[in-house]
Amino acid sequence: MATQAHSLSYAGCNFLRQRLVLSTLSGRPVKIRKIRARDDNPGLRDFEASFIRLLDKITNGSRIEINQTGTTLYYQPGLLYGGSVEHDCSVLRGIGYYLESLLCLAPFMKHPLRIVLRGVTNDQVDPSVDVLKATALPILKQFGIDGESLELKIVRRGMPPGGGGEVIFSCPIRKVLKPIQLTDPGKIKRIRGCRYSVRVSPQMANRIVDSARSILNKFIPDIYIYTDHMKGVNSGKSPGFGLSLVAETTNGTFLSAELTSNPQGQGAAVLPEDLGRNCAKLLLEEIYRGGCVDSTNQSLALLFMTLGQQDVSKVLLGPLSPYTIEFLRHLKSFFQIMFKIETKPCGEELKGGDKVLMTCVGIGFSNLSKTLK
Amino acid sequence: METKDQKKHRKKNSGPKAEKKKKRHLQDLQLGDEEDARKRNPKAFAVQSAVRMARSFHRTQDLKTKKHHIPVVDRTPLEPPPIVVVVMGPPKVGKSTLIQCLIRNFTRQKLTEIRGPVTIVSGKKRRLTIIECGCDINMMIDLAKVADLVLMLIDASFGFEMETFEFLNICQVHGFPKIMGVLTHLDSFKYNKQLKKAKKRLKHRFWTEVYPGAKLFYLSGMVHGEYQNQEIHNLGRFITVMKFRPLTWQTSHPYILADRMEDLTNPEDIRTNAKCDRKVSLYGYLRGAHMKNKSQIHMPGVGDFAVSDISFLPDPCALPEQQKKRCLNEKEKLVYAPLSGVGGVLYDKDAVYVDLGGSHGFQESDEARPTHELVQSLISTHSTIDAKMASSRVTLFSDSKPLGSEDIDNQGLWMPKEEKQVDLKTGRVRRKAIFGGEEDESGDSDPEDDEEMSEGDRLENSSSDETEEEEDAEVTGKVYIADKGAKRQRLEMEEDTEIDLPAFADSDDDLERSSEDEGEVEEADESSEEEGSSAGERDILDSEALEKGSKHSNGLSDRLNLEKKMKKAALTTSDSGHCTAEEAFASEDESEGNSSLSTEEMDSENEALIRKKFPKPSQVVSGQKQGSESLTDETSDIEDLLKEEEEYKEASNYSTETSGALKWKEDLSRKAAEAFLRQQQATPNLQKLIYGTVTEDNEEDDDAREELGGLFRVSQPARECKYKADSLDCSRFHLDVPHDWDLEEVMNSIRDCFVTGKWEEDKDAAKILAEDEELYGDFEDLETGDVHKGKSSLDTQTEDVEEEVKEEIDSSAEESAKKKHLDKKRKLKEMFDAEYDEGESTYFDDLKGEMHKQAQMRLKKHRWYKKILKSRDPIIFSVGWRRFQTIPLYYIEDHNGRQRLLKYTPQHMHCGAAFWGPITPQGTGFLAVQFVDGTTPDFQIAATGIVLDLDKSIKIVKKLKLTGFPYKIFKNTSFIKGMFNSALEVAKFEGAVIRTVSGIRGQIKKALRAPEGAFRATFEDKLLMSDIVFMRTWYPVSIPAFYNPVTSLLKPVGEKDTWSGMRTTGQLRLANRVKLKPNKDSLYKLIVRQKKHFNSLHIPKALQKALPFKNKPKTQAKAGKIPKDRQRPAVIREPHERKVLALLDALSTVHRQKMRKAKEQRHLHNKEHFKAKQKEEEEKLKRQKDLRKKLFRIQGQKEKRNQKSSLKGPTEQLK
Repeated sequence: MATQAHSLSYAGCNFLRQRLVLSTLSGRPVKIRKIRARDDNPGLRDFEASFIRLLDKITNGSRIEINQTGTTLYYQPGLLYGGSVEHDCSVLRGIGYYLESLLCLAPFMKHPLRIVLRGVTNDQVDPSVDVLKATALPILKQFGIDGESLELKIVRRGMPPGGGGEVIFSCPIRKVLKPIQLTDPGKIKRIRGCRYSVRVSPQMANRIVDSARSILNKFIPDIYIYTDHMKGVNSGKSPGFGLSLVAETTNGTFLSAELTSNPQGQGAAVLPEDLGRNCAKLLLEEIYRGGCVDSTNQSLALLFMTLGQQDVSKVLLGPLSPYTIEFLRHLKSFFQIMFKIETKPCGEELKGGDKVLMTCVGIGFSNLSKTLK
Repeated sequence: METKDQKKHRKKNSGPKAEKKKKRHLQDLQLGDEEDARKRNPKAFAVQSAVRMARSFHRTQDLKTKKHHIPVVDRTPLEPPPIVVVVMGPPKVGKSTLIQCLIRNFTRQKLTEIRGPVTIVSGKKRRLTIIECGCDINMMIDLAKVADLVLMLIDASFGFEMETFEFLNICQVHGFPKIMGVLTHLDSFKYNKQLKKAKKRLKHRFWTEVYPGAKLFYLSGMVHGEYQNQEIHNLGRFITVMKFRPLTWQTSHPYILADRMEDLTNPEDIRTNAKCDRKVSLYGYLRGAHMKNKSQIHMPGVGDFAVSDISFLPDPCALPEQQKKRCLNEKEKLVYAPLSGVGGVLYDKDAVYVDLGGSHGFQESDEARPTHELVQSLISTHSTIDAKMASSRVTLFSDSKPLGSEDIDNQGLWMPKEEKQVDLKTGRVRRKAIFGGEEDESGDSDPEDDEEMSEGDRLENSSSDETEEEEDAEVTGKVYIADKGAKRQRLEMEEDTEIDLPAFADSDDDLERSSEDEGEVEEADESSEEEGSSAGERDILDSEALEKGSKHSNGLSDRLNLEKKMKKAALTTSDSGHCTAEEAFASEDESEGNSSLSTEEMDSENEALIRKKFPKPSQVVSGQKQGSESLTDETSDIEDLLKEEEEYKEASNYSTETSGALKWKEDLSRKAAEAFLRQQQATPNLQKLIYGTVTEDNEEDDDAREELGGLFRVSQPARECKYKADSLDCSRFHLDVPHDWDLEEVMNSIRDCFVTGKWEEDKDAAKILAEDEELYGDFEDLETGDVHKGKSSLDTQTEDVEEEVKEEIDSSAEESAKKKHLDKKRKLKEMFDAEYDEGESTYFDDLKGEMHKQAQMRLKKHRWYKKILKSRDPIIFSVGWRRFQTIPLYYIEDHNGRQRLLKYTPQHMHCGAAFWGPITPQGTGFLAVQFVDGTTPDFQIAATGIVLDLDKSIKIVKKLKLTGFPYKIFKNTSFIKGMFNSALEVAKFEGAVIRTVSGIRGQIKKALRAPEGAFRATFEDKLLMSDIVFMRTWYPVSIPAFYNPVTSLLKPVGEKDTWSGMRTTGQLRLANRVKLKPNKDSLYKLIVRQKKHFNSLHIPKALQKALPFKNKPKTQAKAGKIPKDRQRPAVIREPHERKVLALLDALSTVHRQKMRKAKEQRHLHNKEHFKAKQKEEEEKLKRQKDLRKKLFRIQGQKEKRNQKSSLKGPTEQLK
């Protein structure tokens, strides 16, 4: 009876991941109705089903009910269990889709998580594994989740539509998180990048670099773009190439941008030179937005701030992405936490766009599944 | 009197005084020893042994590190909540007297009747909440969890009682608060020596329980039924200066020790339906962490609930403002005890309560009266309240007819008072705690006890006299309270009139609020018909509305016009545009004393109400009104639109729809847009963008629609539009219109983001350092000697955020009210009782909510508990804030990590316990009690332990042996049947290890076709048909999902300690006289051993032949009796012969005797002779010895001489 009143109800499949992740962390059951109810192909898609299956794998005792058409989902979370898990992700979405949620959950497992994910490592929709490795892991470290076992390793690269990539993600567990005070992003001291190509000529990757450098060199000379050409079994099932760029600041903030070639058989062929140039511009755009956290990881940082101890956490962000805004609303309904949001207009300084200062007091979340020895 | 020659003064020769004197004397003589023995005699302290030195150093370091604690973050606010002082002790020990004395000591007021917690101001920076704890185990558990300081009263004349130890154990489990012992009844000792002894004994026992050196206070005796002033004063000093170490559990969980409780449910509802949903508000100081609205709470002894609302109240027992004075003046010594009917002015959402402190209020002169203006004004009124009430008028709307008192019912809203007192039974049974050494003393103390009891009776008699005296005072007090009630209502009305004007002023989200309030208004609506509703003000409004009828539409439209004007004025006059207008109104509100919460609420209530009452005439008006609402919405929406067009599609829906509807509004919106454009630089309120509009209606979407029907559907944006709800779920932030990075200006806009760009002036290292100094550094004003401390930035931040949060909690925050409405579970309604004086501490944990999981804990039976605990017997756990009954399973972990079920807990060992219950963080202590009803002479705490783990699935197993029998035996292979039922089962166990009882090991190979469940197995040896084959397996057991919160506080008065939950099977059996039918096989039977018959040994003939003679069976029969024919015939003598024989016999006897005598004599003779011989021999030997001695001596002398001469010889020759 009380449990029913306690559960939250939503409509539509958007922000499904957020809802399920927050439900798992808060322990509140969630009911999602009208999932693509008016679509020609109603109900949950494969990648969403795969995501739910993944949640089932890393938890213990969760209850998932989906109706016949797949338009209604009821999720009653169990305890986060962790351990060694393998999961075949759907190739419709990148591994980043799954990894983003795992990053939110991994520190609160009963046993440290070590998961092997197979699927598409780099695609045009989701943040790629490279970018998450470069930007999300430093954020985890800021919250005190670090150590040798925090690792994200790309074993194989897989491009859409075939996939065939493989990454290994392992994360230690923590009982409580540290509050953070990130209000000064610092200045960008270097730009690193990774160009990768699978099942195409390695020359393609080399052509990317020059065009990207031509733009970025106007700002900073310290640029290095690594080449990652994978061959044979490590190169997945489909051809493709791409570039991811990461700018590191003096205060340890990482801003990233990436671009991937069109998947085989979809759209026109992309010139590597164009790709490099556009990617560099995207990075500049990201730098313009600025903040202490990358725009893709805003929600991750905000979540960990919410789950911190009962102290004040502060973080300076660039403009909030729609995903983050919805995430804030969800944080309110799941944890009753509201952020103090202040806009920090940039004055005369040439530091990009307006920033947002987010402040909150943590709810004092503690990892309830960790075993006491 | 004659002068007696007095005793001569005797100088002290020993003791501290004498030593002091001696020292002084020595010092006078300049011989005094130096203070430091080390200096005086350095040699004695020189390093003798490096090893010993190292050891001693090691030891001191060890001791030092032992004292170290993990640093804890002190999160107590600047003005901390009162400290909870729990006065605990067995009955008749003097708890109430002590509390009374303490209150009198601090406040100079005398509380005659104390019920529930009493909050007092004890110093400039400290308040105390004193609460009495009886010896009901439930109460002890609850109060041990919230206590900061425990005053543990001990009857010195009796000694320790079980309650004391139980309480100590409870404290140990739930974080150890400060404990101070207080010995009472010390005047019952006749002899000083006895007293000293008792003190010492009790002190040492107390120390072993708490810690060595724990403070034990002595209250030596009573004067006029009270403790001595000086002692109470000292005790008070101790309490006020005491320092506390924060307890982890308390600091990490918000809780409230409720000191007031009101049932806000409509009495009519209760009358008609006793099981209706109740609405209860609880009042108290929030302690621990901060609490969020609408969170889950637990009330010990009641159950789990969700808070419907929390608000802030002004401090009823505030600390005095900062001042230089050392001590408090009389009017700052506040006391607040609403349950006892003492308190100051209470603000509430619904009412203002004025309460004047009992007898104290009468005694004070006018200057000493509370300075609060409100109260002052109330006190100084001269006309009677009734008269005032009759003449008072309330105007709700600017031109509506004022409202008179006739519309207002006199509803008793304040706390219902019932003079009930549960008399303590005089013939109570005391539970003495006896320890090994004390047992002999217990016998002695019995008569004392009896005496004491009779004393107690006497005391009671006297106290009853006292209460009689005090009754008069109470009656007057009641009159006072009645007055107060009337005043309160008047106050409300005043508020109303004030509030009237600034109606819509700053309601940006009036729309939602009205929908929010809808439910409440409805309630009020219904209640207005009946008498005695809870929401007084609503009633007023309501009844007013009913009265006015048709006049309203007019008034309302007028009012709206007025508002419009105001709005325009605000927009045009204030240059700052929308935002500042809002602020201005806000400040106005504040200046009015009652801040915006109540205003807005009431307004929205009004509207909703009117809408409800007069749907037809007001339709146009409501349309207008809606327009005006959307006007305010719109202004904010335009901001939104300009800022982020993408996101708030629904917002634009708003404006388009509404603007289409009405003309006058267009004008307004244009003006608003203009104002906004002027203020474009002003920062948009992002918070409102994010949280304001969308989340609220997200949550209350459905209700609003259902209740308001078509009215609201128009303006509500279609949030579930397909576009948004089913769009792609992606965290990447794609820009539709990216910057053109080829342009130089655009590029320059991020120049400074790089290290190559320009660095700010203030990033200069030296400057940063200086800034830090300013911010955090302490500096000392040398002239005044004041030390100024830099405020840490973290603190200010916290304040900031907290303020923000507060504002958010009740979006139009009245920095005052604190209250919670608790929705009760239907089932518990009947038992609800608003009278119980137990303070409930409430608690919330939004995570844990209603989630129930299986918890594993490490448990140990308490060594003082007499029985061991049985698996699957229901037991009451106290974990976290909760007390609940559950069915645990006990287990022990084997070496391989298997968790094996135990039937009973071990006697003296830890074991595991798993139960199904609420989630509690790991590391939380718990205790278990078997029953909470009634008191047993034994120690009640059954077990203690710690929570280890939470899980959904627990791997507790019990042993299961499957047995089978061979039905066909080959060499090492056998066919076994009877172990399984089907081939499928066998298939599951293929390869499993089996064994026979005789120890032959084997393995399951394969199922056989027939009979069903039979299988082939191989063994290491051939089986016998009589063998039993078995397989050891482990069967997982499931934990019974039973969780029953101890709802002892819902019992009627006087039966609070009679709660009994699920009974154990043992109890049930006892109650129903059911005898357990034991399994016949498990009964012990008399062992009857059959006599064993052995067959005779048969040795083959050939062997017999071969055997040596020794081993050959001796076939010869044993020489038996001589057969009759071989026996000699008996001789029968003649009489004569017989005589002869007799004579011969006699003669031979005589002869024998003679011979014996002779032999003896000879023996004696021989002995003497031998002795004589020996003597002779000895003498002879002696002689010979002497002779020999002589001889040797002579010989020796001779030899000496010879030697001498031989030595001399050569020397002489040399000479």
